Amino acid sequence: MADKEKLGNFTPENAPEYEDVLQCMRCGFCLPTCPTFALSGRERSSPRGRVALARAVAEGKLEFTEAVKEEAFFCLDCRACTTACPSGVRAGEVMEICRSQAHQFFPLKHVSKSFREFVLQKMLPNPDLLETSMLPARLYQKLGIQWLVRHSQLLKLGPEWVDKAERMIPELHPPLRPQLADVIPAEGEQRGRVAFFLGCIMTLMYPEVSRQTVRVLTHQGFEVVTPKEQKCCGAPHLTEGDRDTTKRIAQHNLDLFMALDVDAIVTDCAGCGAALKEYEELLEEAGEHDKLATFRAKIKDVSEFLAEQGLRTEGLKPVKKIVTYHEPCHLCHAQGISKQPRELIKAIPGIVYREMEEASWCCGSAATFSLKYTTESQQILDRKLENIRATGAELLVTANPGCHLQLAWGLKQAGMTQEVVHITELLGIATG
Amino acid sequence: MISETAIQTLIDKLGKENVITAAEDLLVLGYDSTPGLHATPDLVVYPTDSEQVQSVMQVARDHKVPITPRGSGTGLSGGSIPVDGGIVICLNKMDKILEIDEENLTATCQAGVVTLDLFNAVAAKGLFYPPDPGSQKISTLGGNVMEDAGGLRGLKYGVTRDYVMALKCVLPDGSLLSTGGKSVKDVAGYAFKDLLIGSEGTLAIITEITVKLIPPPQDKRTFLAYFDDISIAGAAVSKIIAAKIIPSTMEIMDKATINCVEDYVKIGLPREMAALLLIEVDGHPAMVTEEAEGVERILREVGAAEVQVAKDAEEAASLAAARRTALSALARVSPTTLLEDATVPRSMLAETFTLIERLTKKYALTVGTFGHAGDGNLHPTVLCDERDADEMKRAHAFYDELYEQVLAWGGTVSGEHGIGIAKKEYLARQIGPGGVAVMKRIKQAFDPEGILNPGKIFADGQE
Repeated sequence: MADKEKLGNFTPENAPEYEDVLQCMRCGFCLPTCPTFALSGRERSSPRGRVALARAVAEGKLEFTEAVKEEAFFCLDCRACTTACPSGVRAGEVMEICRSQAHQFFPLKHVSKSFREFVLQKMLPNPDLLETSMLPARLYQKLGIQWLVRHSQLLKLGPEWVDKAERMIPELHPPLRPQLADVIPAEGEQRGRVAFFLGCIMTLMYPEVSRQTVRVLTHQGFEVVTPKEQKCCGAPHLTEGDRDTTKRIAQHNLDLFMALDVDAIVTDCAGCGAALKEYEELLEEAGEHDKLATFRAKIKDVSEFLAEQGLRTEGLKPVKKIVTYHEPCHLCHAQGISKQPRELIKAIPGIVYREMEEASWCCGSAATFSLKYTTESQQILDRKLENIRATGAELLVTANPGCHLQLAWGLKQAGMTQEVVHITELLGIATG
Repeated sequence: MISETAIQTLIDKLGKENVITAAEDLLVLGYDSTPGLHATPDLVVYPTDSEQVQSVMQVARDHKVPITPRGSGTGLSGGSIPVDGGIVICLNKMDKILEIDEENLTATCQAGVVTLDLFNAVAAKGLFYPPDPGSQKISTLGGNVMEDAGGLRGLKYGVTRDYVMALKCVLPDGSLLSTGGKSVKDVAGYAFKDLLIGSEGTLAIITEITVKLIPPPQDKRTFLAYFDDISIAGAAVSKIIAAKIIPSTMEIMDKATINCVEDYVKIGLPREMAALLLIEVDGHPAMVTEEAEGVERILREVGAAEVQVAKDAEEAASLAAARRTALSALARVSPTTLLEDATVPRSMLAETFTLIERLTKKYALTVGTFGHAGDGNLHPTVLCDERDADEMKRAHAFYDELYEQVLAWGGTVSGEHGIGIAKKEYLARQIGPGGVAVMKRIKQAFDPEGILNPGKIFADGQE
């Protein structure tokens, strides 16, 4: 990367490709799909505007200013614009790259920098450390300190995001990764052998969801292999603009999973699935084209996989619920998986399915966006809650831990009674 | 540059949040969808009503600052680019539908209402607003009126002009002008309304629009016809019109466009075909049946390779949506898409396709052609790279020769995008120096100081 030619006012390292910003012909098809443009009405907070800013930096017409940085982080990276763009512009990815640039132009102050580096470079890539670090949080909940903190309003004194983060965290259970057997055999006639990519948030915050994922997969006839050495997918690093750590992690996961003899690599986290599928572009300079292409072809979101293989419906128990589905951005926009989850939901006997308006509109979670831009995140969430309310659903199905956290928290705040479940939890209920 | 006093006046009238001076905001409000054109304004304002537009215009007048109106920036001739800097006035915050009058079958809205929002609002009341530019999800009604936007239904239902009943606008001296009304008939004096429609923001800034609504068609049928040879598709269009059948839509895409659109929408369009026609007939069910039979018969007679009928409304809608993405999809192929708006009498369609093919070869270019075949309104689009000077020169030579022939056939240099900056050089060729001179006198009468949307329509030396 270092020998790359400097592109305008970008620094040479991890800079966007000029062709990628030139691709935008400014037709505006992205405008009505962008939640931040809908909020602010500012052209610069639209995909077309953001790409224009990047282009101006690339052409040396604009310095990489504070406003460019702001836009890079204000972008939800929801990829709705990618779905909408007939010309194939990937504004979200251009903004991810700009986030990486932002750290070069605007280095963090010492303490924040050390903290960020610790989390991104030490903690997240090391599952053991990550899991141990959750222990105090679990004790905090178990020992009743959480009750005390919540009721004393102690955190109101601190920064708003700490309070919000504290309130969003669900009841924690021991992480799933160390508990899963390396190989879990298929039930009944075996249809295949898959590797399971867990995902950090899933194993830490929603171990029960992933337990159901594995259970549903084995019940559906797949042997499940879970390599314990797997690391975080790298999405948080990309989101925070740390491309170098992402590449290191990606290489590790690529080698680890490609050494397994499996038909597919399945994940139940839309964010992880999207990140894994994009290793091909991320690591393209490594030159392992065939290996990367094979890896990409093997990555499957669990609903994509089950829909492709055909759900065995015999023996499924009826679930008598009114259900609606929120599409995680990283499932529908980043991976183009939209029909499959609905097909699976509708295949469960007893379910009354009701489509919500704007099902593929972001919920406002967007990694750390909900903590950094609390007001804007709330506005986006309110729009989503209104659409959920209008369906009259009892169950809200989704497929990504970020959405899960945000929606469960939002519903509770709004006094709504819908329960949020992952699609494999729903399948788990039907499986009995 | 704009003085601090002027900026302060605007802040007092519009509020701080509606007066934008940050460099990054200015930078991204200096383009529309026309390739290669960009200019940075000195200031951007977002008025919320007619009175605020008046205030902005008065400031521009008092300080002799150029002022350029803008909607969503989907224009395709550069009409909203602030070539001389100054103030860009964005009308997007004027997005209220003020009234849907079910007794008079009219709707009145602010200029910044998005076209599809108006369509949906009136459809909810069982009414129909037919103009449907390709950018209907994004473009504003004000922009549609200023450019007299066409659309996919133009063939049977006409264009924006055919639905505008009244306009409220602000003149360059800051005064308000109302023209037209809800009366179906109105011949009181000069037809200002018709002069303003399609005036590309050079005579006045439109703030409110009253449009005519009609009952929606009761039934419709959608066809896709594929052809091995694009001029056979052209002949099919001419024959259908000659058979006195007026479909609501007859859209064409050539092979390059089919492939780019298919890359995007992935609905199974046949990549090997030379052209396809998307045809829709609508109206009373009995008439739809009769016309559909006629269309199908003619398509088979002229030798369409295949004729398909959309199985349901959803499939028909997805085909129309696919067609709307044609231009943007073509942008996949090359960094620059130079789009034109050549329009010919419908009997000349087949010849026009032959001409485009010949010129494509002559100038060694890649061209994707799509458009409203039923209107004779084609968008031959040169897929090129603005960094390649020689290619750009050949692209311009291509258009020069194309337009020469189009005008000789009695066609026009712009069917629906307007002259703007992109086609200034061609205007005099079509309407002659006398025509340009009269237009300039009209411009002078409305805007003696020349502050409103300067640099548009008239080529240098003609202004």
